Amino acid sequence: MDTITTKLSREEIFNLMKKFITEVIGEEFVEEMDITPESSFTKDLEMDSIEIVSFSEKIKAHFGDQIDFTGWLSSMDLDQLINLNLGMIISYIEECQS
Amino acid sequence: MSKFLFVVPPFFGHISPTLSIGASLLARGHEVKWFGITSLAKVHLPEGGEFIYPEEDLLPHAEEIDLILKRQDDGPSCSGPEVMKLALEETYVPFARIMMKPLNNFVDQWKPDVIVNDCITFAGALCAHLKGIPSVTTTPVPPDVMGDTANSAPKIFEWQQNLILGLQKEVGIYSDQIHIHSHQLNLVFTSQTFAGFKEKPPHMHFVGPVKGRPNLAAFDWDRLAKATTPKVFVSLGTLLVDIRAAFFKKLIDAFAGEPITIVAATNPDIFEEWPDNFIVSGFVPQSELMPHMDAVICHGGFNTVNDTFTNGLPMLITPIAYDHFHTAKLIEQAGCGVSIRYKRLRIADLRNTVFELLENPKYRLAAQDIRETFVAAGGNNKAVELLEDFAKNNHVLEPA
Repeated sequence: MDTITTKLSREEIFNLMKKFITEVIGEEFVEEMDITPESSFTKDLEMDSIEIVSFSEKIKAHFGDQIDFTGWLSSMDLDQLINLNLGMIISYIEECQS
Repeated sequence: MSKFLFVVPPFFGHISPTLSIGASLLARGHEVKWFGITSLAKVHLPEGGEFIYPEEDLLPHAEEIDLILKRQDDGPSCSGPEVMKLALEETYVPFARIMMKPLNNFVDQWKPDVIVNDCITFAGALCAHLKGIPSVTTTPVPPDVMGDTANSAPKIFEWQQNLILGLQKEVGIYSDQIHIHSHQLNLVFTSQTFAGFKEKPPHMHFVGPVKGRPNLAAFDWDRLAKATTPKVFVSLGTLLVDIRAAFFKKLIDAFAGEPITIVAATNPDIFEEWPDNFIVSGFVPQSELMPHMDAVICHGGFNTVNDTFTNGLPMLITPIAYDHFHTAKLIEQAGCGVSIRYKRLRIADLRNTVFELLENPKYRLAAQDIRETFVAAGGNNKAVELLEDFAKNNHVLEPA
């Protein structure tokens, strides 16, 4: 079972997200990017909808039902999606864990 | 005989199929005119047709139109949600606003029996609704590009609805119904199978690709005839000016000196020199060229997609922005090609994928299946039949 029960720190979540992003978009493309918590999801990481879906699936596989990442995304309006950055995702996961 | 007015946006990919159906309607003796907010070169128009470009009425908007057209070049660097804003809020809605008055004036004067609006050119359907004129919509791309936002992204759905209802109020339509498209007849230029529709609304008719618009572009046929290696057609369409050089540089890196002939539709001036196995011209007679090709590489412009599968050819689609991703998904679903997103396009993958498409027959077979669905959809004949029946059964409402 992949689902974890121990709480992850922000840094651990960040590294995990970075790992997922690398798996989704390919190491070669990640090397050209400087991924930080400020990286915007769609603009800096240039993720398209297919990539976002496979990123969401990785989150689901890892955290199980405790995190409804897709549901969270679909509740956003356009500006929220445009401004969404990695830090916000980390905070969301952190909140869901507590 | 009836009077048909096509209301079109300043994007050739959207105008192109209307020129083809317009040619068929003219040949049947109908009167056909087009209305747009940029001029259209006369060579593109079928004989007997007229393109109305109300230059004088548009003078106050000249700068705005220009800015909107330039803004389209930002598409490739925009994220998905930004493209949605760019398209609806910064392009379609302002275009409709700009078109409305000169279109109303022209319609009052010419009195068309049917207004046919392109799916992103809302002014046509709005004007028809205001004046009680029967209206039809043409959809050159597979519908449902934005997906089911009402259920999957309610806030985005609300944003779309509010923009459109706001536009309708501005032009004097105080209804909570959406009137930017015809509710009676929507002609879609692909097949239901390819578009991935299990069921369809009754007013939506998939007529497949249409053809027959004039295209007098010259081409070096002798050089093509001498080529002995597999021929791959490459097009980036008429938009996307900024990334043209970068795109074709990748092609050169992948295919210079390889046992393949690249036929590229782009302005040759972007490089001083092209490899010997590249045949490059600014304008090409695309429909005549396609039957001589073995595969196609394109970003997903819909007329090239239609020409490709009309000829049963496999495709490498490299989606960049807009509806390209939706089209890429449909191609992979149908198995008639491979999609590699432009931003993640590696030279080695580009080369290997094209050779895979040429060597593995499964892609060509799937492309031929799509061709069958296109032929069965009926094309020009079906479109004309639907339009003539529509004109016969629907009449301009007399003002109350």
